[in-house]
Amino acid sequence: MYRKQVRRRRAIMVLLIVAALVLLSTRFSESDGGPLHSMQRAVASVFGPLEEGATRALKPARDLINWFDETFQARGEKSDLEAQVRRLRNQLASAQGAEGENRQLRELLRLDRRGTLAGYTPVTARVIGRSPTVWYSTLTVDKGSSADVAINDPVVGGDGLVGRITDVTRGTAEVSLITDNRSAVSARVLPNGPEGVAEPEVGNSSNLLLDYIDRNQAIHEGQIVVTAGWSNGVISSAYPPGVPIGEVSDATVGEQETYQRVHLRPFADLRDIQFVQVATDGPKRPGVAQ
Amino acid sequence: MIITPRSAVRIGLLVLVAVVLQVSFFSYLSFLGTTPDVMPLVVISLGLLGGALVGAVCGFATGLVLDSALLETLGVSSLVLLTVGYLAGRYREGTEISNSLLPPLVIGGLTMVAAAGFAAIQLMLGVRTPVSLLVLREIVVQGLLAGLLAIPFFPLIRRVMRPAIVDDFEARRARSPIARSAARPGRVRGRRMRRAVGASR
Repeated sequence: MYRKQVRRRRAIMVLLIVAALVLLSTRFSESDGGPLHSMQRAVASVFGPLEEGATRALKPARDLINWFDETFQARGEKSDLEAQVRRLRNQLASAQGAEGENRQLRELLRLDRRGTLAGYTPVTARVIGRSPTVWYSTLTVDKGSSADVAINDPVVGGDGLVGRITDVTRGTAEVSLITDNRSAVSARVLPNGPEGVAEPEVGNSSNLLLDYIDRNQAIHEGQIVVTAGWSNGVISSAYPPGVPIGEVSDATVGEQETYQRVHLRPFADLRDIQFVQVATDGPKRPGVAQ
Repeated sequence: MIITPRSAVRIGLLVLVAVVLQVSFFSYLSFLGTTPDVMPLVVISLGLLGGALVGAVCGFATGLVLDSALLETLGVSSLVLLTVGYLAGRYREGTEISNSLLPPLVIGGLTMVAAAGFAAIQLMLGVRTPVSLLVLREIVVQGLLAGLLAIPFFPLIRRVMRPAIVDDFEARRARSPIARSAARPGRVRGRRMRRAVGASR
């Protein structure tokens, strides 16, 4: 009797492990419209309203708990922010002078004076869920294909770039953050413009690495980094140019290395983000599936 | 644990509530730079209460629901959670959980195993970007947080599943007059005093 039970238990265990491995390999091999993807979207659609209700109902409790954590953090940030204000004041003085010149030059060249998301229709979405692991930095938002949200649409927050849409159901969408290990954003350092690729460092969500910056390029702490939005006519970046990503926090060069190791601090508070804007119906970017 | 349709519904609801709470509440919190993950806690608790088979099946189902709700790679969470659920069940089948500190310790330890297993699978599947050593801190802190959260949550899960549990040590201990008097000597003395006072009247 006991042996029979043990055999049954082992058989079920093997069956479950095989099922998990089959799911894993099938999910990787099938296309976006495959049966497993469709099943996941159906389950996500069911969970969407539940997550939305729970997110709204539990907000006061969440805010209360986070208040303690933020209070401890705020003490450390105060002196950093004071130094930042002094630096930014100097930058503002020179920027105001440059702004006047810029306006005149734009008028001369008749360039578009609208924002960096010109040509897109912004859709404001509420964050209703997020992944618990550092291996997937994803959010679920409460707008989906019914609000014209499509795969690869850029997502921005109040402070800067947040990520892009990687999956859509009718009422919800998955946003892969710029700190997700599948993310790579072509980026440009302002003002002189060396370009590289901003990638995350798994496990450290407050840091991005700007790769492929030549060792001879002068990069300084505090320089602003924006999306490059390049296109060669066949393939393009999924992001439009000029969206702020973050600022340089550190730049080091190894003895034998061709490229610098540039660390960025993202502008968007990706941990505590409540609302995002999805830039929908944008201009067609060659090579970017929508 | 006896699995009847009613207890299966209880487990199903428990898993559903846990997934919704994880995605909409716990994932927004940050302690020591880490987000608490209650999914291993729930699965390990079910394994500790119901045995290896219950732990493994609940782990597989929980992983499937979680990955589907978050539109993530199907099978990764299932594989990790069914393993820790099974290990928790095997531990329970070989040891009597007589100390109330034991479940939080087991849950903390197995949550670290789950976090390390998840990291190993992700690395095997291929991560294109650099991996920080802070991942190790993440694994340790996840375990510590799970151990702390288990102090209120394990008794809660046991309470929800109590009708299905065959050998509930806590209930047995609560019924035992010897254990009761050893645990609360003040109250026993009070009763004796009251009895003595009652007899003298």
